[in-house]
Amino acid sequence: MWKHPWGYAEGLTICGGLLLTGIMLQFAVGKVELGRLSYPFGLIAGALFLILLIVLHVASRRAGLLRWLSGQVAAITAVSALLLLVIIMGLTRQLPAYEDVLSEASARHNLSMENPAGRMGFMQMTSAWPFALLFLYMLLILGLVTLRRLSRFRLKDLGFALNHLGLFTALFAAAFGSGDLRRLRMTAPLNSPEWRAVDERNEIVELPLAVELKSFGIDEYPPKLMLMDNSSGAILPPGRPAGVEVEASPAVLELAGWQVEVVKYFPAAAALINSDTTLFAEMEMEGSAAAVYARVRDANGAALREGWVSCGSFMFPPIPLPLSDKVSLIMPDREPRRFSSEVTVYTKGGDRRRALIEVNRPMAIDGWQIYQLSYDQARGRWSRYSVFELVRDPWLPIVYAGIGMMLAGAVFLFLSKPRKE
Amino acid sequence: MQWTYFIYFAVAAAICWAAGALFAWREDGYRWAIAASCTGLLIFAAFIAGMWLSLERPPLRTMGETRLWYSFFLPAAGLVTYMRRRYKWILSFAVLLSLVFVCINLFKPEIHNKALMPALQSPWFAPHVIVYMIAYAVLGAATLAAVYLLARPAQGKQSQVMELCDSLVYVGLAFVTIGMLFGAIWAKAAWGHYWSWDPKETWAAATWMAYIIYIHFRLHHPSRHKAAMWLLVFGFLLLQICWFGVNYLPSAGNSVHVYG
Repeated sequence: MWKHPWGYAEGLTICGGLLLTGIMLQFAVGKVELGRLSYPFGLIAGALFLILLIVLHVASRRAGLLRWLSGQVAAITAVSALLLLVIIMGLTRQLPAYEDVLSEASARHNLSMENPAGRMGFMQMTSAWPFALLFLYMLLILGLVTLRRLSRFRLKDLGFALNHLGLFTALFAAAFGSGDLRRLRMTAPLNSPEWRAVDERNEIVELPLAVELKSFGIDEYPPKLMLMDNSSGAILPPGRPAGVEVEASPAVLELAGWQVEVVKYFPAAAALINSDTTLFAEMEMEGSAAAVYARVRDANGAALREGWVSCGSFMFPPIPLPLSDKVSLIMPDREPRRFSSEVTVYTKGGDRRRALIEVNRPMAIDGWQIYQLSYDQARGRWSRYSVFELVRDPWLPIVYAGIGMMLAGAVFLFLSKPRKE
Repeated sequence: MQWTYFIYFAVAAAICWAAGALFAWREDGYRWAIAASCTGLLIFAAFIAGMWLSLERPPLRTMGETRLWYSFFLPAAGLVTYMRRRYKWILSFAVLLSLVFVCINLFKPEIHNKALMPALQSPWFAPHVIVYMIAYAVLGAATLAAVYLLARPAQGKQSQVMELCDSLVYVGLAFVTIGMLFGAIWAKAAWGHYWSWDPKETWAAATWMAYIIYIHFRLHHPSRHKAAMWLLVFGFLLLQICWFGVNYLPSAGNSVHVYG
């Protein structure tokens, strides 16, 4: 071993050494605090890494050992070692990076000091020293091979350059920019500007912008009718539950052998509940629920039962229609098609913008992106507040540049022919 | 189109594919093999298109629905490989594997309702999943070739088949990369960050890395075939965990990639 040229044994030994060093560091000083990499430290660390890369690249022209670092064996062993950690990560339940695994709070979750995976940092893999060291080593190798190929670039290397430089750029920005990533949660009440949000630790942060919720709404899918087992509460038939959508009335629907005649269908109705009867009246109001007056026949066409069935809301209870001792016709909660918040956002600079924020359609303003996250689940459509996630990631354009290069590189990979043997 | 019609379309397509696979074994069966396989693909595609129309959304949400696409792309990948390389066995293998997934869908269907939760309502949804399904099918074909060689180490043909594996992996990895990056761009729009190490993402990264290792290993040691074949099997194993195995892992308890 350690004789030139180096092979797998040497490559794996280096990775093993880094892994051990990482585990020892983890025991000695605890996990990597990525939050410390916030501006300007992330920028400085990134710059130092690039300088180190260039120095090693220049030096590798003289020293053969350094040249080994930009070879295939170094790449294969480094990616393999990192793959091992990623697999461990995939098999171990991960905790959020901000949580203190060894604290009392975590001990309650049975993740005590004795847990070896927790102590080695494997339950918060991305902020564990072994992962950090192997990741930086792999990034170094990737950077060196990219520099080596770029320093004598020819057009036929374009695919190689796009793939390797793209991956390097994306990973570099993702890693050194991770300290500058801000993710905050804001609960905005109706008609009252909110400029405070909380971070992961529930600490209040004041923002340079304010969000005023003008209105919140949920579009729902049409209600569905299903059959429920009265004793177990399971949806029937067991294992492959069946349901039919109610879209209009009158209609005759077929549900797992039963014939359901929809006599009346009110998308929005209010219930009038007496001691022995329940009636529904069509009415659009706060808390109104969908209701169906159904007449149900069995397979032979004999009329069994008729009555109201409703999914209920925060105002009204759900109403099932018992068909027999064993089975009831029910209407589960309607599934949301769309949540949306109409907002006005004010910035410190005096800017003022209106927007509609939906899932998958965030709003971008002043370097922040505002996402629809949640609402008052109990009140549903009539929620009086909306919960937003506010994200700021100044390194994002660099990551996207890397992703763009990789996408172009993938096209080259698709078209490339493997080497002939 | 209703799910209950699946059995008719599946049986008709399976008969065509089986006929195509049988023709491929005959010296003069090339055209017939292609014709039969294409007919099968058309029948299967008609069912997928019908489901898409009647569900009013792309049928890509549930595991059963993704299996539908996989059952389609696998014979398609097999056919393309057959047309380019004329390997007699590739169609049989691809059809056999596809039928396994057809059968799972026949005997263990999953509910196919119209509802599509808001997080999935994005223009990235269809490309992200379809690109991944193509990748899985192509890499599945590469694995079949590797398993075929491991089981029957034919000395003469070995480097030819390894070359086939290489080109399949290049194509498959290109699609995996595109699927993953589309997913990252979508995740930024839907969840606020492009990569969150969600269990599905973790296993996608593992799968991607395994095929990266394969490519570099093949470039460095073009003659070490056996190790390369085992790498292919290993990569495909990770891919299976990523696709559905992850749902059964305790680590996936709070995955945001679970859509029932």
